[in-house]
Amino acid sequence: MHSNLAKPRLLWLQGVTCNGNTHSFLNLHSLEQLLSKFELLYHPSLPALFSLEDLSKCHQKCDILIFEGTYDPMMQRDGISLEKWLQHYSSCARYVIAVGTCASFGGIFKASAPERSSGVLFDADKKSGPLVTIEQKVINLSGCPIHPEWLEYVLMMISAQKEILLDELHRPRELYSNLAHHGCTRNEYFEWKVDAENFGEKEGCLYYTQGCRAPMTHASCNKILWNDVSSKTRVGTPCFGCTESDFPRRDLFSTKTNMSIPVDVPLGVSKRSYLTLAGIAKTFHIKRLEGKLIDYKTVR
Amino acid sequence: MTTKQFVEQIEGEASIYFDIKDDKVEFATITFPHFRGMESILKGKSALDALVITPRVCGICGHAHLMATVRALEDVYKNSSNPVSLSTKAEVIREFTLVIEMIQNHFKWIYLSIIPELIKLTQTTRIQTPLKGAYASSLASKAIAVFAGQWPHSSYMLPGGITSDPTNIDILKATSYLDELILFFEKETLGVTLEQFLSFESCKDFASLQSDVGFIESTLIDVRMNTKGFAYDRFLVIGKHNFSKPSKMKHTRSFHVESALVKSVKPYAPQEKSFALNAVYKDDYYETGPLARSMSNAVPVIKNIHRRFKDSAYSRVMARVFELASLMQEAKLLLEKIDITQPSYNKPVDFSKISGSGVGVVEAPRGPLLHRVEVQNGVITSYEIITPTQFNIGSSTQENPTPAQKAMIGVSEAEAMFIFKTFDVCSVCTTH
Repeated sequence: MHSNLAKPRLLWLQGVTCNGNTHSFLNLHSLEQLLSKFELLYHPSLPALFSLEDLSKCHQKCDILIFEGTYDPMMQRDGISLEKWLQHYSSCARYVIAVGTCASFGGIFKASAPERSSGVLFDADKKSGPLVTIEQKVINLSGCPIHPEWLEYVLMMISAQKEILLDELHRPRELYSNLAHHGCTRNEYFEWKVDAENFGEKEGCLYYTQGCRAPMTHASCNKILWNDVSSKTRVGTPCFGCTESDFPRRDLFSTKTNMSIPVDVPLGVSKRSYLTLAGIAKTFHIKRLEGKLIDYKTVR
Repeated sequence: MTTKQFVEQIEGEASIYFDIKDDKVEFATITFPHFRGMESILKGKSALDALVITPRVCGICGHAHLMATVRALEDVYKNSSNPVSLSTKAEVIREFTLVIEMIQNHFKWIYLSIIPELIKLTQTTRIQTPLKGAYASSLASKAIAVFAGQWPHSSYMLPGGITSDPTNIDILKATSYLDELILFFEKETLGVTLEQFLSFESCKDFASLQSDVGFIESTLIDVRMNTKGFAYDRFLVIGKHNFSKPSKMKHTRSFHVESALVKSVKPYAPQEKSFALNAVYKDDYYETGPLARSMSNAVPVIKNIHRRFKDSAYSRVMARVFELASLMQEAKLLLEKIDITQPSYNKPVDFSKISGSGVGVVEAPRGPLLHRVEVQNGVITSYEIITPTQFNIGSSTQENPTPAQKAMIGVSEAEAMFIFKTFDVCSVCTTH
């Protein structure tokens, strides 16, 4: 039988945040099993071994540091600067998991103090955050917020002492090699270049007018569904690219176009290839894709 | 003597500075340390981008912020003579997801806040069950995600309606999650059926409960919280919904309420800088949230409790517990009202052609949430957010204390710490 001492010690620390990742984590269906594998030193809403007041003395050590929120060195928690919190707990930790886009790249709250704030390892896509010297420890779980299963995956891999392959932005490849577009229920409309005419419809692709970033965004939102139920694009909301280092972009509900062609084409596809394919696809008129999927009013 | 207490796990943190005399709180000031500058982040953005930014004010009530934003933007349309029309379907679905977010909040408050605090206050050995709160909340989130794609941080409402176009399959799915949640609530929290609980008319009815709610109610009485934690006995409800009736109340008398009379004022906190502004209605402090809503709705059992125990900590806690039950019933009714044949979205004029100002008010879990926006050719020039915790838990002077400050006077420090949490504090919202 494993003793409690053998369990990795987990500390959840927050920078400048909205608590979105904290609450998303509470949605995890296997929360109890997961927590049983770790010793929880602190979490912003779950009971844990210590209070923030105990931990601010920086006498304890953790094995895994979860950091949520933008890193602002001047921000204080219990009178101790984030700089000191992060320095102490990241130096003893074997892993630092940046949860959310704020902790990964700066995110929304970088704008609170742009001159000094960043993610823990990256500032947007530049590797210039405070943990540069121990970058091998850092795993970025970008997303606004994270999906709880992404964090579960990382923690379980660590617990099982398995290697986690990371991409150049330190995100686990098994979670971020997909695009948000993969698994979208509107894929056929994308293939045949049929736009969604409006919001609030089951039909059509949101990439051409409504600002959808799914074909340019590394995320598994349409593969590992949100709340086990759905995703933004499945309910007709465009993907805002929240897992990428440039989130939040501007004009999130409209597609930037040049001569009615989207300025940003699907990731890794040359503009020429895209235009050629789109041009051909658009010449076809596929009746099934142009009408309503279900017409509740006239079909009996 | 002044003592400082650091309060954690309230969606962030706060500090309370107590002036103690003869072991009782003579006065207390409250500070919220974390500033994020949401209002300036919004300035210069396209109006619709606010739908993505403002839910990120708060991880626990982001949906309320989304709804406040969409109402504010629709008000801009209206005030610039381009009114937006909403289908009943869009309105009902918005209302449903808002109600479910409140249910999610109240569950977490019961299991992650109030039960642990009662255990701490009474030093009993009862086992904490935080995961009951997490489980119930995750079920609630699923019901939101059916229409909103995800929770937290959905942006599925926009001027003119909603982005989703549900089928009967979706409605059935949401119904099934809600039914499961109600079963859980009956079995794990109430100990009676929802229907039986909602038929309670007197606080004596709670006495028979051998359940988590029974524990909360009897412990509150044991520690005499029915005689402590009084604020002004003045209440404010501003958000208009099926489940709420806007009203300004003094004791049980109801008056007309006007959101324009709400303003924020600088806090009084001599010991430490606080980034939270106090919210006042015509220069006066009012309590907001479930107790206020129940008083305004004249809910029989809460009126009965109020008649006996006024706006005590007991009444405040029981009003939130009871509201959770009535919101479940409300959510069921809303699902039955959805007519899927109606449009989800009526496209309004392009926002780039719109200039003007607008106000969006909703009832969030803790009370009225106000968003005020000014837009110039579709670009935000000014954005103001006033959150419920600013009404309840501001920090003012001894002569004119806020509801939470007033409620903590005259009790022990430990009791004051408990009473503070009966307001269901949201630190992140307060400092936004």
